[in-house]
Amino acid sequence: MSTLTLPRLQHIIGSGIVAAVGVSVCYISYTQQPSEAFLFPRLIASVFVVLALWTFVKACLGWTKVGNGISFTQFKNLAPGLAIALIYIFWAAKGLGFYTATTIAFFILLSLYDPAPHTALKSWGKRIITTACFMAVMYGLFALLLKVYTPREIFF
Amino acid sequence: MEFIYYFGDVFTPINFGLLLLGTIGGLILGATPGLSPTMAVALLIPFTFQLEAAQGLILLGAAYTSTVAGGAVSAILLKIPGAPANIATTLDGHTMALKGEGAKALQLSFLSSAVGGVFGVLLLIFLTPVLAKWALAFGPSHLFWLAILGVTVIGSLDSNSVVKGLLSGCIGLWLATIGFDDIMGAQRFIFHPSLGGGINIIAALIGLFAIPQVITMFAKGRKDDGAEAIQVQKHPIKGAITELLRNKRAMGIGTLTGSIIGLIPGVGGQIAGLVAYDQSKKFSPDRDKFGTGHPEGLIAAESANNAMVGPSLVPLLTLSIPGSPTAAVLLGGLLIHGIFPGTDLFDNHPDVAWTFINSMLIGQILMCIFGLYVAGMAAKVAQVPQSMMAAIVLGLAVFGSYSVQSSMGDVYVMASLGVMMYFLERFGFSAAPLVLGLILGPIAESNFIQGSMIASATDGMAPYFLTGTLNLFLIAVVIASILYSGYMELRSRRYTSKEEIME
Amino acid sequence: MKKLLAGAAIALMGLTTTASADGHANYPERPMMMMVSYGAGGATDFQARIVTMTAGNEDALGMPIAILNKPGAGGRVGWNWLAGQAEADGYTLGAYNVPHFIAQSIKGGVEYSADSFEPIANWGADPAVLVVGKDSEFNTLEDVVTFVKANPGKLTTSGAGLFVGHHIAALQMEKAGDMKMAYIPTKGGGAAAMKAVIAGDVMAGINNLSDAYRAAAAGNVKILAVADLERNEFLPDVPTMKEAGLDVDNASVNFRGVMVPKGTPQGIIDKLAATVPMMFENSRVTGKMKAGGSPMHVMTRDEVLAMWAAREETLKELLAGL
Repeated sequence: MSTLTLPRLQHIIGSGIVAAVGVSVCYISYTQQPSEAFLFPRLIASVFVVLALWTFVKACLGWTKVGNGISFTQFKNLAPGLAIALIYIFWAAKGLGFYTATTIAFFILLSLYDPAPHTALKSWGKRIITTACFMAVMYGLFALLLKVYTPREIFF
Repeated sequence: MEFIYYFGDVFTPINFGLLLLGTIGGLILGATPGLSPTMAVALLIPFTFQLEAAQGLILLGAAYTSTVAGGAVSAILLKIPGAPANIATTLDGHTMALKGEGAKALQLSFLSSAVGGVFGVLLLIFLTPVLAKWALAFGPSHLFWLAILGVTVIGSLDSNSVVKGLLSGCIGLWLATIGFDDIMGAQRFIFHPSLGGGINIIAALIGLFAIPQVITMFAKGRKDDGAEAIQVQKHPIKGAITELLRNKRAMGIGTLTGSIIGLIPGVGGQIAGLVAYDQSKKFSPDRDKFGTGHPEGLIAAESANNAMVGPSLVPLLTLSIPGSPTAAVLLGGLLIHGIFPGTDLFDNHPDVAWTFINSMLIGQILMCIFGLYVAGMAAKVAQVPQSMMAAIVLGLAVFGSYSVQSSMGDVYVMASLGVMMYFLERFGFSAAPLVLGLILGPIAESNFIQGSMIASATDGMAPYFLTGTLNLFLIAVVIASILYSGYMELRSRRYTSKEEIME
Repeated sequence: MKKLLAGAAIALMGLTTTASADGHANYPERPMMMMVSYGAGGATDFQARIVTMTAGNEDALGMPIAILNKPGAGGRVGWNWLAGQAEADGYTLGAYNVPHFIAQSIKGGVEYSADSFEPIANWGADPAVLVVGKDSEFNTLEDVVTFVKANPGKLTTSGAGLFVGHHIAALQMEKAGDMKMAYIPTKGGGAAAMKAVIAGDVMAGINNLSDAYRAAAAGNVKILAVADLERNEFLPDVPTMKEAGLDVDNASVNFRGVMVPKGTPQGIIDKLAATVPMMFENSRVTGKMKAGGSPMHVMTRDEVLAMWAAREETLKELLAGL
């Protein structure tokens, strides 16, 4: 039995969540009507739940190779980006319109993660140009060429 | 040999111009995330209203051919498979691009696409009558077993752990049941209105492959960790050809699997690439290298998904049954001009039929030439800094998943699946088996239900599903596949444990 | 600067108000989209693309109509979306298939009924036909009826799903002949159902006349009867079910047309109802439809409203026992 490292703990939590999903899927499939429509989900859910519990037990006992997990530094790095991405997708895209939201999200992400110094004016200019180029390509491809009518709330 | 008489028609200025337009346009559309070949061809239908029948079909045929190949570009460079056909391409193709071998990966992909594609079209030209019978031989019971055969592939797709591979597959199979059940019309697992239409496969593909990659780039933080310094190696086309010739086995397996599976109505196109990838992995002495940027896997996947193009049209052209969604759209292109596929097409409009088929043959070669021409330039994408790459892929993922059905719901599903997949990947699960489950679920389910309805009205379940040469053959292959995976698992386990003892 | 800003604000306000103030005289001001609840390449999708191709002409709507496919569960996915999630601003249209969506709403489990939508115009009427494989022992509808009566529940009959026109036709046949067939719904629409007949997976099938006409022309199937009140011009030699001895009316005929979600401004509905039937009568449209073997049947909004009401009544009665 190996010691309880951070990746191992995360692995236990992760497989625990998967197992919980498996159990609830199994429960729903066996209780919902009409039963003919749930024949196949039942079959899948039964296998699903067995495999998920097996993985969970193995994870708890430490019998399994553990994935890499997420280190604290990694999490600190990804958190702001993920937060912006989620706000962008679940709210801004519809609320502000696709092109506006994408421009803002793209620029913020670029500023957050671009290694070029934040103090130099030149690197800001570069970021603005990059954003403008990307948006021009997106607009040309989706709006002009493919004629996809995306939500456009404020500007375009 | 009739087709040779009509070769001239392909090279009239207008026709050849349309062929070029279709090929180049198809490559661009195919490389756009969210645009499956079906959508791309459907987008071009209005243009064919103005054209003559043969001209319209040249445009559509060329576009079909090159969108399938074009999908490899985003699969390799961005890890966004444009369509289910390109899933297997990402496995080795994207890893090659990460190693700076993007140019080589693209060259190999276009070359093997062309080899597979030309073979597929030649099958269409010479063996259509024979193949038509074969395409019809697959009834619900056979398709059910074929889907199960696909499920057995799931376990071995994930190289880390068979149990986790199967578990990912189960998650995929379950996700596929969300939404309306297609036959009864009952609602299943609809937790949120966005799921009302079920999980769209293209949106799911984008989410499962692209989003984890975006988050991984975020996790690297704001630093120059050498990832930017990837040297895109120049790769001579000659080298790619030699490499292709060295991997004759993968190419052969890919081409054959693709043409055979591509023929089966309703199933073929989606799984041809993955099945070919799995087969060539099983037959390869270097099977451990698969998934780490091994050219063999890329060649098998790409030759298979283009080999499928020709045979997938056999049921349409001979029996007027569209075997795939794309074929259904092409049917529309024919009907608009008052041409009915089937005997009518070859007897009364041979010029249309053969010009169309010939243009697909030439289209494969043009696609390859253009593809090779841009491969070197396109591979420079790998030099784009990580920060910018993450933002670009995110933007493309949102626009791409929206444009599939102009639906915000698909974007939400894409993002949720993607974030979930990132965390699952951290714990040793992988996306490919999950996606395979998502594709195979509906095929297995609807054919099982349909088969059992037919069986209960006729001779009963056991005789319907378990007798007949084709059923028995497929069951035998399923069993062989399971035994082989089990054997390989045991062997590798003994091997690794020995190694551990040695340490 | 202040003046400029104020001017801009007024202009913006003007933009948003003109639309409702002038009775939609400028409608449509941008391209529209029409939702088709079946996949690209299906009969409904194919016809929808043809009948809307002239929408951009000046004598029609003056703006193009893009087709948006939302397939799934026999059309339920798309119509649920149109009833619940689509914006009723006049720029989102939908294609309807009667009796499909009415039958589904009677059967329940969906978020729409005939009252959720406002019809605009009808473009086509595609009757259901009974087909058998080319080598089948059945040559007439009587042969089939005799077989079913002798072997209740043994005649496997494919169709494009539950509670679509094909299923309604099968139910009506069972009721008229007081017999039991084995209706097999397929996933993948009429094409998959037709494939099952041609390949011999099933003994018979009910399918769209337009698709069956092509399959018969290619020599793959025999068409035994049409579920309509009169013989069809595409198939003058095929008897109606009534002529062949089964009392089946035209309740299963697949009417296709354009509708908008409830809540769309009346001015827009009136404008569309006046223009769209003319757009369907365009000679280019009728020419392409005829070439593709798709029977046309243009009806105005009032005629469609009456047809919907009549269908709803028949279907309620037919489906009551299920």
